Amino acid sequence: MLRAMSADTVSFDAAAAYPEVAVVREKLATRDWAEIRRIVDGLTPAGRTTVLDAGAETPGVEDMLRDVLERDPGDSAAAVMLANRLIDIGWEIRSGAAAEHVTSNQFAEFHDWLRQAEAVLIDAVARNPRDPALWTARLITARGLQMGLAETRRRYDRVAALDPHHLPAQTQFLQTLCPKWSGSWEQLHPWCRDAMLAAPPGAVQGMLVAQAIIERWAALPAGTGTAYLKGAPAQAELDEAARRSVLHPAFGRDYGWVQAANTFAFAYSLSGDRRGAAAMFRMLEHRATRMPWGYLGDNEGEIFDMHRRRAMSGGAR
Amino acid sequence: MTEQIEVDGVPALLAPTAGPAHAGLAFRVGFADEPLARRGITHLVEHLALYSAGGADYHYNGATGVEYTYFHMQGSEDELAAFLNGVCASLRELPMHRLAVEKELLQVEANGRSSGPADQMALWRHGARDYGMPSYPEWGLPAITEDDLRDWVTRYFTKDNAVLWVAGDGVPAGLRLDLPDGVRRPFPAPSSALPVTPAWFPGSSGALAWDAVVPRAARSQIFAGVLERVMFRELRQEGGFSYAANTSYEPVGADRALVTAVADSLPEKHGAVLGGFVDVLAALRVGRVDEADVAAVIKKQTEGLRHADEQGARLPGQALNLLAGREVLSADEAIARLKAVTPADVAEVAVAAGKTGLLMSPRTDAQWAGLTAAPGNSDNTVAGTEYRSLDRPDGRMTVGPDGVTVSLGNGRATVLFADCVILRAWPDGARYLVGHDGIVVYVEPTLWARSDTVARQIDAGVAAAVRVDQPARDPEEIPRPDPVVAPARSRPRLRSRLSAFFPPSSHTLWGLAALVAMAFAVWLVYLKKSFGDQGDSPLLTAVAVAAVLFAAHAGRRYFR
Repeated sequence: MLRAMSADTVSFDAAAAYPEVAVVREKLATRDWAEIRRIVDGLTPAGRTTVLDAGAETPGVEDMLRDVLERDPGDSAAAVMLANRLIDIGWEIRSGAAAEHVTSNQFAEFHDWLRQAEAVLIDAVARNPRDPALWTARLITARGLQMGLAETRRRYDRVAALDPHHLPAQTQFLQTLCPKWSGSWEQLHPWCRDAMLAAPPGAVQGMLVAQAIIERWAALPAGTGTAYLKGAPAQAELDEAARRSVLHPAFGRDYGWVQAANTFAFAYSLSGDRRGAAAMFRMLEHRATRMPWGYLGDNEGEIFDMHRRRAMSGGAR
Repeated sequence: MTEQIEVDGVPALLAPTAGPAHAGLAFRVGFADEPLARRGITHLVEHLALYSAGGADYHYNGATGVEYTYFHMQGSEDELAAFLNGVCASLRELPMHRLAVEKELLQVEANGRSSGPADQMALWRHGARDYGMPSYPEWGLPAITEDDLRDWVTRYFTKDNAVLWVAGDGVPAGLRLDLPDGVRRPFPAPSSALPVTPAWFPGSSGALAWDAVVPRAARSQIFAGVLERVMFRELRQEGGFSYAANTSYEPVGADRALVTAVADSLPEKHGAVLGGFVDVLAALRVGRVDEADVAAVIKKQTEGLRHADEQGARLPGQALNLLAGREVLSADEAIARLKAVTPADVAEVAVAAGKTGLLMSPRTDAQWAGLTAAPGNSDNTVAGTEYRSLDRPDGRMTVGPDGVTVSLGNGRATVLFADCVILRAWPDGARYLVGHDGIVVYVEPTLWARSDTVARQIDAGVAAAVRVDQPARDPEEIPRPDPVVAPARSRPRLRSRLSAFFPPSSHTLWGLAALVAMAFAVWLVYLKKSFGDQGDSPLLTAVAVAAVLFAAHAGRRYFR
């Protein structure tokens, strides 16, 4: 039944899960913005944010998006994609390395790109304060420009008021709540659990609990992380979260499902639960996300494939 | 109906009133006309001129503002005449025997005055000159002589630089405005200490303050009102970040006005207050102006104007317009202008305001909002003899024929003697210099090696006219380089915030005296914070320490 699997077949492309992404990319190539608007305007709020964000990965689209905005400053979809493009350019310069390995020049350029993105977002939000995708992008600029928890929470509250279970915003705010940015474990874990319980059973929000556990694992000194992951409290939290999301009968193929299944696959793999991991990998097939696999190294494809093979060979029936 | 007349050569406005009669005499002179080394002279004149009225049993007062000084009273015709006649007589011959006492009274008054969150705005926008003066204490008082006062009165308190208003049935029969001839004094030209706007600087409290120069017009008044409503809604009602959020509108000169917004910040909400405010301004700028807000503000301002008109309370403002060379509008005309303001007009003002804005952020970095940091550091140095700090290994002071530079790491404060607007000099050798840009150099000779001649060098370079001698200090107020723990009572309000950057041997007697240097230090702390992602930066810490050094040991005489 299982198709042949290898690292080559692993895909990090959002288009592998969400076909609209591929269509939007085609239309970006032909500069058909009207058609892109037609597609994204028909999506759910979280879907629209996801697709606009994925479109922003296309190098060079910033010129076209600036043209669109110049003609119509009220086009908030264009503002979202442009801001995300500017953020991506900045983040590539910063690199994902830990802060101590980033030069001050890199930081200066990174911040400069983020400020450009924030300028686009300030103007766009002034015109369209009810667009959750704009506020989601502003969570990223808030974190990168270190605006602090109060301002980031203000931004998150604006998203939540518009779309209470907006996963793209929730995963961003989760980062801010981590001690490495502006928060603490005492703030992070309860927030994630509350967000999960507030969402309907079977929703993707259970992954927030799993992600928080992974964040905590990643912050522990080498050699102590596995014990934490295998410990009863983390296992109980993971179990509750999985049963409410990825293992729930109502868990479907809503935007965010690939991220959710990858998050649980990671948590199960690292805590040695091959059976749990295998269920996730079967669901995912070749669809991977860089987060959280990137916590194990830059070769996320090989890492994903290795854990997938290990899970499928041992624990799977 | 307001009547425009002339009384003894002084232009005057006469209007009937429903309430008790009142009258006032205003002059076109205020803080903005004072050099820092004579800061307080107008207020002193006002006090001396009112001395003659001191024993009278009626309602009178005087006020010194940024651009105007006035004397006002309410009472019978005879009382009005007697009061204003007395003020004119006192101005012609100031009761100089009261000089020492009135100086002391002014200092007591200053000590009792509480500081407002927007106090520093003028200094950051204009420097230590003209419209920057409202930020400064009355530092000139000790130096003001009888001759200074006579010159000041001759220059400003003349019939050609005055305006009278009378709310009542007519000009009081016994009124005789016996004032000398002179000329109408134009408003000072506003200096700028901001190379680029919109700009920001870090505040030392949790409050946010913002001001902007806008055209003097009804639409700007409505803008200020709309801004207040939106701030209240977004920052208090919806966000819960602020308790108080207010705006004001103040005319500046003949054609401009300053809109000021202030929002306090609940604990741990500083960043959100800033973010919320940035969004409020941006929304108005792009034209998202609620018609209902505009209508409500027009209604409120119209009602206020109508009420003031009935009480004769519009009259002083109209008289100042006359003095400023502006048209004098009837209440109906003014109301018609308010009512004509549209949401698009408000948005237009918001765009203009956005370009000239200056923001004092609530203890947080505001660069993300597209604002440029206002300069809090000197970009020049002087050549001369170098002195080593006894406190800090990398502290350097250079004193040369052109001025003084104090530096530590990258932090630098230079005051050129030619640009020095005040030199406060203590008998023990301490010297406090302020440049016209507001930059402060504070020299405590006891903290610098072999600096015995520094005070003499500075004294020789600085013009005698800007020197203000200070009374001798209590010996324990003179700092020593040995580690001395500051007594708890002298701890600054900011200490908790800046404690990481304090020199270990802090003998810090803080005061607002070092406003600029203090703010510079705070700015650096936030600069440092903004680089926090890159780990600790010893350089920035050092610069912050330098700034604290400049700011420390400030005289607390006026601010105890």
